[in-house]
Amino acid sequence: MIRLENVSYSYSDGKPAIRDIYIEIRKGEYIGIIGRNGSGKSTLALHFNGLLKPGKGKVMVKGMDTRDISMLQEIRKIVGIVFQNPETQFIGRTVEEDLAFGPENLCLPPEEIRRRVERVLAEIGLENYRYHSPKTLSGGQGQCVALAGTLTMEPECLVFDEVSSMLDPDSGKLVLKHVKKLHEKEKTIIYITHNLEELHDADRIIVMDRGRIVLEGKTENVLSNPFLLDLGLTPPPLMDLAERLKKHGVMIPWEKTSSPSNFAEEICQLFLKT
Amino acid sequence: MPIILENVSFFYSKNTPLEITALKDVNLRIEKGEFVGILGENGAGKSTLIKLFNGILRPDSGKVTIDGLSPSSKKAKSMIGMVFQQAADQLFCRTIYDEIAFGPLNFGYSRKETEERVLEALEAVYLDRTMLSRNPFSLSGGEMQRVALACALALRPDYLVLDEPITGIDPSGKKEILETLKKVKDQGTAVITVTHNLNGLFPLLEKIIHLQEGRISFQGSRKEYLESENVPLPPIAAMMRELKSSGIQVNPALFTVEEALEEILRVKSIIEKKKTEK
Repeated sequence: MIRLENVSYSYSDGKPAIRDIYIEIRKGEYIGIIGRNGSGKSTLALHFNGLLKPGKGKVMVKGMDTRDISMLQEIRKIVGIVFQNPETQFIGRTVEEDLAFGPENLCLPPEEIRRRVERVLAEIGLENYRYHSPKTLSGGQGQCVALAGTLTMEPECLVFDEVSSMLDPDSGKLVLKHVKKLHEKEKTIIYITHNLEELHDADRIIVMDRGRIVLEGKTENVLSNPFLLDLGLTPPPLMDLAERLKKHGVMIPWEKTSSPSNFAEEICQLFLKT
Repeated sequence: MPIILENVSFFYSKNTPLEITALKDVNLRIEKGEFVGILGENGAGKSTLIKLFNGILRPDSGKVTIDGLSPSSKKAKSMIGMVFQQAADQLFCRTIYDEIAFGPLNFGYSRKETEERVLEALEAVYLDRTMLSRNPFSLSGGEMQRVALACALALRPDYLVLDEPITGIDPSGKKEILETLKKVKDQGTAVITVTHNLNGLFPLLEKIIHLQEGRISFQGSRKEYLESENVPLPPIAAMMRELKSSGIQVNPALFTVEEALEEILRVKSIIEKKKTEK
């Protein structure tokens, strides 16, 4: 669905932000991208729908080249991005207006815009906030509005760039729940984060460092790779604990490290059986 | 003398149909040299609360005093260093030097004294002197956050107030900021931080204030917090509590991987011993 071929990009000072990136993303995949600050994650994110054009190499979205300006509108209908700070993405005076902005710009008929706004308001659970100004909402609600604004474009692929880093754990989980649901609806998900715990449901993880891909593989294998520590990334505490318990003969399967209660349940079974 | 809030309430859009209660009857006291975490969900009133400390917001009722002074007084303002979550929002100078020097110069310190403070603050946040001539907006998010922290430290505040200081910063950057905060605390400054990050900052917190819908729902030591009901726990602590409630005799008030590992292995050996005795 999206293919990056040998993509490099340098900022105006000549410093390369990403180098020789090759990524192939299939329809319906859920991909996590991790890496320390300055590793090039956000620069990469901006390439997925042509907000940045590669300095070298090319980015193809369903066969369309992001360097081709005539294709950009089509590409952005397919790939939507949700950013870290929801406030920078608000345009409308009310949540409803904000959600209508994207489809209005696609020159859709009013009934279709209304249909989409209603559907997304219900889907994300924002019906009660439709007349609120997005700026008066809390961080978590704000991030849901930003997500909803992208969803009214009905994209096939969603890119999330550190969407939960400004949210409290519960709001973060709420956003993540929506991400999971979207994945179940066969949307393609690209989820960028520092918080490795959030990637439990991802199919595959790409690790970036200094602009390059340094590690790539199944979520389970990447998150338990000790190399992460050298890259300045800490494994999620429950996974870390499971790895260490393994050395003492206490085996906690990977699926059980997804939540404190699953983890505790597994230990109980191990300790209390017989 | 501490920061004292007595029966403080604050409303947004007061006396309009959109009135929102941000804080209700808040009472608290923060002493110098304490490391305090202000926790709570998005929208619980955390950011509103810290804006009362330096007079950006004034309470609609109740009283805020900083060492007995009004937060709006110049003396009180010089005692409080604020670092906001979006570092870019509080940077505006052309060079990092000017940025960090802005506070001390405005409080009337000499050029020489200011320079001393700039260099001291820069060192405290682990930034290199070669950065001083750079434009703050050419920095990465993590570096900007550290410059904003240096700006606050250049005032040598008695109270350092931070809104989500390690949000969006990678683990190695986090470690450096945490070290800076620890050092600042050890020098006798109170560090007061709003946070969601139960993994990163939690081990440093001595006192925790948990806000819920504008009210303080918990106030006490970290240990008391770990034992208290209806508060969000770090993942390890949540897991240990589940273990305890399922009938495994562990100490639930633990939150680091090392502590949990040791405790689980201890209980495991006791259980195995009992089994062999049978």
